Amino acid sequence: MKMNEELWLVVVIAAVWAVLAAVYALIPSLGMPGYVRVWGGGAVLFLILAGVLVAVSRKAPRG
Amino acid sequence: MSERHFTTRRGFIAALGFSAVSLYGAWAAYGAAPLPFGGRKDAAPEPDAHGGHGAAAGMAPEEFRFEHDFFVQKYAQKDGSVNPHADADAHGGDAHGGHGHADAGHDHGAELTSVEPVDVYLMAQKFAYSPDVLRLKAGVPYRFRMMADDITHGASIQLGSASRIIRLRPNVVTEQSITFTKPGEYLVYCTVYCGQAHDAMHGRIIVG
Amino acid sequence: MDSISTSVARVGSRSRLTARVAALPGTDKALLALLFGAALLALVLGLVGGFVTALARAGALAFFPDDAYRLLTLHGVSVFFYWLYLIQAVLMLVLAAAENGRGLALRPLAWTGATLMLAGFGASEWISATGTPLLYDGSPELAADDPRSVGFFALGYLLLSAGLVASAVSGIATVLQPRLRGEASEFTSIGFALFAWAGFLVVSAIAATNAFLPGLLWSLGAGPFPADHGTEWHILFHNLHYLPLMATVLVWYVLSEQLTGVKSIHGARLSKIVFAAYLVFVPPTSLYHMFLEPNLSESVRVIGSLLSLFVSVPTLAAFAIIVSSLEASARAHGATGFFGWMRGLPWRNPAMANMGWAVVNMMLGITFAFVLIQEKLAPMLSDTFFVPGYFHFFAVGVLTQTFLAALMVILPALGGGTLWRPELLRCMPALVTIGLLVFGAAGIAAGFMGVPRRVFDIGYDGIAPAAWPVLMALVGIGATIFAIALSVSVYGVVRTMLSLRPSLEQAPVVDWRTGSRGVGAAPAWTGPLSVAALVAAMYVFTIVAFQLIQSSPIIAIGGGHGH
Repeated sequence: MKMNEELWLVVVIAAVWAVLAAVYALIPSLGMPGYVRVWGGGAVLFLILAGVLVAVSRKAPRG
Repeated sequence: MSERHFTTRRGFIAALGFSAVSLYGAWAAYGAAPLPFGGRKDAAPEPDAHGGHGAAAGMAPEEFRFEHDFFVQKYAQKDGSVNPHADADAHGGDAHGGHGHADAGHDHGAELTSVEPVDVYLMAQKFAYSPDVLRLKAGVPYRFRMMADDITHGASIQLGSASRIIRLRPNVVTEQSITFTKPGEYLVYCTVYCGQAHDAMHGRIIVG
Repeated sequence: MDSISTSVARVGSRSRLTARVAALPGTDKALLALLFGAALLALVLGLVGGFVTALARAGALAFFPDDAYRLLTLHGVSVFFYWLYLIQAVLMLVLAAAENGRGLALRPLAWTGATLMLAGFGASEWISATGTPLLYDGSPELAADDPRSVGFFALGYLLLSAGLVASAVSGIATVLQPRLRGEASEFTSIGFALFAWAGFLVVSAIAATNAFLPGLLWSLGAGPFPADHGTEWHILFHNLHYLPLMATVLVWYVLSEQLTGVKSIHGARLSKIVFAAYLVFVPPTSLYHMFLEPNLSESVRVIGSLLSLFVSVPTLAAFAIIVSSLEASARAHGATGFFGWMRGLPWRNPAMANMGWAVVNMMLGITFAFVLIQEKLAPMLSDTFFVPGYFHFFAVGVLTQTFLAALMVILPALGGGTLWRPELLRCMPALVTIGLLVFGAAGIAAGFMGVPRRVFDIGYDGIAPAAWPVLMALVGIGATIFAIALSVSVYGVVRTMLSLRPSLEQAPVVDWRTGSRGVGAAPAWTGPLSVAALVAAMYVFTIVAFQLIQSSPIIAIGGGHGH
C-alpha cells in the first residue's frame, strides 16, 4: 500500500501525543494525570484514524 | 519553480511560521530564559536566592494553620493589624528584629543572619484575609507563606503601575520571598472568583 | 498603478463550494440550518451577556453580585462553548458535505449529534441562568453545597461533548466518501484539514469529559469531590484555544478560494503539513495556562514557557501561505505597488471585509498572547483584565468575524436567499476592530495595573488606584462599539438565513486563478513584512512588561512555588 503523506502525518500526530502522554505518565511528580488521559486518548484516536486511512485505501475501488 | 522569488518559496514560507520563536532573544536579554552556554540569571534577582524555594517543603496545611494562628496572636496590634516587627520595635531593635518569630517547636532566631527573611503568614478564606492588615518595613526581605483555607483564592498585591498576582489553592502552602523597596500602603485583593462577596475580599499591607 | 487585469466574477455564477451546498439533500440542509440557527442563538445570548457585563464593569449598570456573575457565566458559556463549538461542528459538517459532493454520510449519527448538542445547550443555559454562578469553567468548589448546579452544569458540557463526537464521526465518514467511491486517491488540502479538525473535535470532547464527568458523578453521589478540576480544566481550555484557530485558518483557505479563486501556490502537501502541525503543537504548548498554579515546579515552568514559543507556528505558517498565494496571484495578474495589490481584493464583499479585518485582529491578539506565555510575566498578568483584553481580539475579532464571513457565503447557498445589505455589512468589521482596539488597549493597560479579571466592583473601599475605574469605563465604551457593530453583522446573517428570495445580484468576488507559470516570480513582501511587524510588536510589549516588573516596588521570588 502506498504510504502517502496523509498517513504519515496522522501517525506523527499520534506519536507526539503518545510521547507526551508517556512523559506525564512516567513522571508522576508532574502531578497531571489528566494529561495522560487526554493526550493518551488523542494518541489512540489518531492511531485509529491512521488505521481508517489504511482501510479506506485498501477498500477503495482501483482504477 | 526555480524562477520563483525567494519570498514565494516553500522553505521561506515555512520558516516564517517560526518567526515568533525569535522572541526568545528578548526573554534571554532579561534573564528569563535559559541560555545555551551561560546558564540562567533570574529576571528579578534576589540578593539571597534561597528565596521562596524549599523552606516550606513538606509544610502540611495543619502545620501552616498552627503557624498562622501563632503568628497572628503573637504580633497582633491594638488597631487590629499584625506587625511581625512589634517585639523589635518595642525593644528598639533594628528592622530585622522580628524574624525570629519562632515556629512552635523551636526558636531559630539565633541561626539567622541579617539577610534572613522574616516569616509572614497569610491565610485566605471566604471572603477575607487573615491578617487583613499587615505592617511591614521597606527593604526587609519577607518569606510570605500563604494558603487558601476553603476554596481557591487570589492574594494579589497592587503595586501602583503593576501588580503581583498570586493564586492560592486550598490546602496548598505557597511561598514567595518578597521585599518591598518603597514605603506605602498596598492593596491585597482576591483575583480568583470565589463567590458572592468576592468583590469585597481585600486586605492591606502597610509598609513603613 | 495597481490595476489588476482580472474581471469580477460573472454575475450569478456559483463557485464549487456554493454550488455543492445548494445541491445538498433537503434533510442535510435542514440539519445544517438547525445547527446554524442554534449557533447564532448562542452568539446572540453571549453577545448580550457580554455587553451587559462590560457595562456593569464600567459602572454604567449595577447588579447584585450573584446576578452579575450569572451574566458573566451566561456570556462565557454561550460564547466559548456553544457559539464556538456549534459553529465549528456545523462548519465541519457543511464543508465535509461539500467536499463529498453528495451530502453527509452517517446521517442519523449527524442528527443524533445535533440533538445531543442542543440538549446540552438547553441544560447549560438553564443552569447558568438559575443555578449557583460557576462561571464558564464550572469549578465545583464554588458550589460544594449545591451539587445540583454542579451536576447540571457538567451534564450540559458532557452532552455537548457527546454530540461533538457524533458529529465528528459523521464528518470524518463524509470526507472519506470520495476515496471510498474511487474518485480520489488522497484528500484535498481542505479535505485533510477537515479530517484532522474532526479528530481534534473528538479530543476536545475527551478533554471536556475528563474535566466534567467527575463533577457529574460527584453530584450523583457516585464519585469523590473533583478537587483537581482546576488542572483538568486547563487541558480543555488549551484545546478551546487551538481548535477554533485551526477552524479559522481552514475557513480562510476556503474563503480565499471562494472570493478570489486562489488556492495555495505552495501545493497541497505544505498545507497538509501546516494543518497537521496544529495537532503536533497542541500538547507540548499547553503548560503556559498553569503558570500561576502553586504546585507547578520551576523547571516545568521554564520548559513550558520555552515550548510556548512554538504556539503560533501553524497559524503564522498558514497566514504566510495564504498571503503569499494571494499576493503572487495578484502580481501574476498585473498588480503592482508594494501593498497596492491588496486593493484588488473584493473588499465590497462583506465576507472579504470580515476575513481581512480578522487577520488584523489576529496580529494584535498574537502580540499580546506572547507577552502572557512568559513564565516571569504571568505573575503580573494572569487573572487580570489583560486576559480578556487580549483574547477578545481572538474571540471576537478573529474567530467570530471569520465564522460570520463563512456564514455570509454559505447561508445564501444553503437557503436560496440573498445576503442582507452587503454595503452595510462590509463596513462592520472595521467598526468592530475600532471597538476592540479601545476595549483591548484599556483592558490590557488595566491588566498591567492589576485590575482583576472577574470583579465587578473594583473600588476596594477606595484603596484601588484611581485609574482603574477610568480604564474600565473605556472598556465599556469599546465593548459598546464592537457589540453594536457585531450585532449588525449578526442581524444581517440572521436576515440572510431567513431570506427566501433568491437574487441574481451576488456579493462581488474576483478571479485571480492562474496557471503556475509566472506565479511567484515577483517578490511577495506583504507576508514577511507583516510577520516582522508582529515580532517587533511582541518585542516592544514584552520589554514594556519586563520594565514594569523591574520598576515595581517589590523584589519577589517564587511564582507560586508550592511544596
